[in-house]
Amino acid sequence: MRLVRDLGRRKLRSTLTITGIAIGIMALVVFGSMANKMNALIGGGSKYYQDKAIVSVGSMYSGNIQPLALSDVQKIESIDGVAAATPTVDMLLSSEGGATSMGTPEMITGSIPGGDKGLETFKIDLASGRELTAADADSKVTVLGSDLARRLNVKVGDKVALRDVQFTVVGIWAPTLTAPDKEAYVPLAAAQDLFVKSLPPLIQSKIVASDIATGITVYPQKGVSPETIKTRIEDLLGKDYTVMTGKDFDAMLGSFSAIFSLVLTGIALLSLLVGGLSTINTMAMAVAERTREIGIKRAIGASRWRIRREVVLESAAIGLIAGLIGLVIGAAMTTLFNDLGRESGNVLFELTLGTAATAIIFATGLGAIAGFIPAWHASRLDPVTALRYE
Amino acid sequence: MALLEGSNLRKTYRLSKRNTVEALKGVEISIEAGEMVAIMGPSGSGKSTLMHILGLLHTPDPNHGPAPELRLAGENVASLSDNARTRIRARRMGFVFQDFNLVPTLTALENVLLACEYAGIKGKVARDAAIEALGLVGLADRADHKPSELSGGEQQRVAIARALVNKPEIILADEPTGNLDSDRSTEVLALFRQFNREHGQTIVLVTHDSEVGEACDRVVKMRDGRIRDSGLRTGTPVMAVPAATAPATA
Repeated sequence: MRLVRDLGRRKLRSTLTITGIAIGIMALVVFGSMANKMNALIGGGSKYYQDKAIVSVGSMYSGNIQPLALSDVQKIESIDGVAAATPTVDMLLSSEGGATSMGTPEMITGSIPGGDKGLETFKIDLASGRELTAADADSKVTVLGSDLARRLNVKVGDKVALRDVQFTVVGIWAPTLTAPDKEAYVPLAAAQDLFVKSLPPLIQSKIVASDIATGITVYPQKGVSPETIKTRIEDLLGKDYTVMTGKDFDAMLGSFSAIFSLVLTGIALLSLLVGGLSTINTMAMAVAERTREIGIKRAIGASRWRIRREVVLESAAIGLIAGLIGLVIGAAMTTLFNDLGRESGNVLFELTLGTAATAIIFATGLGAIAGFIPAWHASRLDPVTALRYE
Repeated sequence: MALLEGSNLRKTYRLSKRNTVEALKGVEISIEAGEMVAIMGPSGSGKSTLMHILGLLHTPDPNHGPAPELRLAGENVASLSDNARTRIRARRMGFVFQDFNLVPTLTALENVLLACEYAGIKGKVARDAAIEALGLVGLADRADHKPSELSGGEQQRVAIARALVNKPEIILADEPTGNLDSDRSTEVLALFRQFNREHGQTIVLVTHDSEVGEACDRVVKMRDGRIRDSGLRTGTPVMAVPAATAPATA
């Protein structure tokens, strides 16, 4: 408590220093939360892709997907080393094309329930309702991702319009922090119909809805690497087909992760520098002002170590207080931004316990380290000279 | 055996590259347990320097000639490390300064407790001792006041309580009445006298106030970095110490 009283002796200076560090920590919390969300998103994708190969024509990420024929599924299934191949139809939920947003866009995804033959390792928990089953094949039913369900404000049993077609919500997934949060999962046939309707009329007439897919998910047999499968598929189907594996995904998006980490580190370093210097200044002035007091303490028996500890603790307290303030403001900001963004489907921040703890430890450590220089100076004062100091 | 005994004590301060001040030019001094001694002399005579050395705040210069010696209860403390000297100051000595020198953010009680803390005494034992010490100086009812809420005389009495709280072997006081009016001076002196008489507390006071000197058992007179008069008379039991001038050989 003595420590707090000492901080209160110079309210303006302590407040300014604390504000400076708090701003840095706030930035750290906000960007850290953003990086968390980004990494969860990319990490989720990475996990999803790691044990399979996805076949498509054109690039799924340029949005220029062309349909492929269901007969390709049988071709791929006959490849040596393939355990299962199942068609999927993926399309943007919005008919106005790709809405600009950070993270993944809202998607309609159709596939055959059970088409993975139990090989899918990326499991999604249900928050309510049920999963699609084989019995749903010809129904207009859907399971929604958590963010999408929240944005559409629907619950199990409600009707929802997907591309102007009414679907019944039978289930809602628990949050995954990655792509499925923004998906509407429907039976393959329903997705095929929606997909064909989205095509220009001229093309529509030439296509049989039940014969197309936008992608094929291929599960290798145990012990066969997705890379091997990729080569075999490319050899069989030719260069028009794009085959993406976990490695490709990581190569494509891993750099995003790296840039985010870099930005975060940069902000951390900046706040370290600014906050640290400001703390050193504050504590050096505090020590200078208290020269006499340090002299008294040394004279009546305070060891150098004790004087150092006093200054470092006070400095760490500055950091801790600033860290807590920065964390509270940062948490409030991320919550606010998420609430605002939810309307448009942009949930950009994920404040984890780890990020919060890092921010607090970082701020406190920064304060303590910044205190070392003034503390050292204070402990080296000659008690007699310090006592005479005016 | 004297409680505190010094010989060949010299101290030269370097003020700048060319300017040095020889504050102590070879001093012999002996203080018996239970004595109340005044060290007197004009300013610049070296009396404060001597007190700083006796109080282990400074170390005597290592001489070219005979090595300095400073014995506290027989143990040579002249060349101890800073930590060891600090520990002795905390546990075996008490200090009173001219400017009271209390920590402004702490209450009277907390200021006294600080001395306990440094001596390694904690908790209820420390609290009881601090309250008792404040009682001894008549300030039990002012324990929760900050220094700024106390008069000069009261502040100095808190400082005395702080010096007394660990029941030190020796109290060193540097101009303890220097900033007090004569009534408060008399009060503070009376307090020292009382502790000396009733508890056999050894006290060394540095002063240029002759009234303070008169209240003491013995007056050591200094001039120009040397002891001119140790105040010892023939027949007193402390005759073992060489009287009058100390050898001034360089």
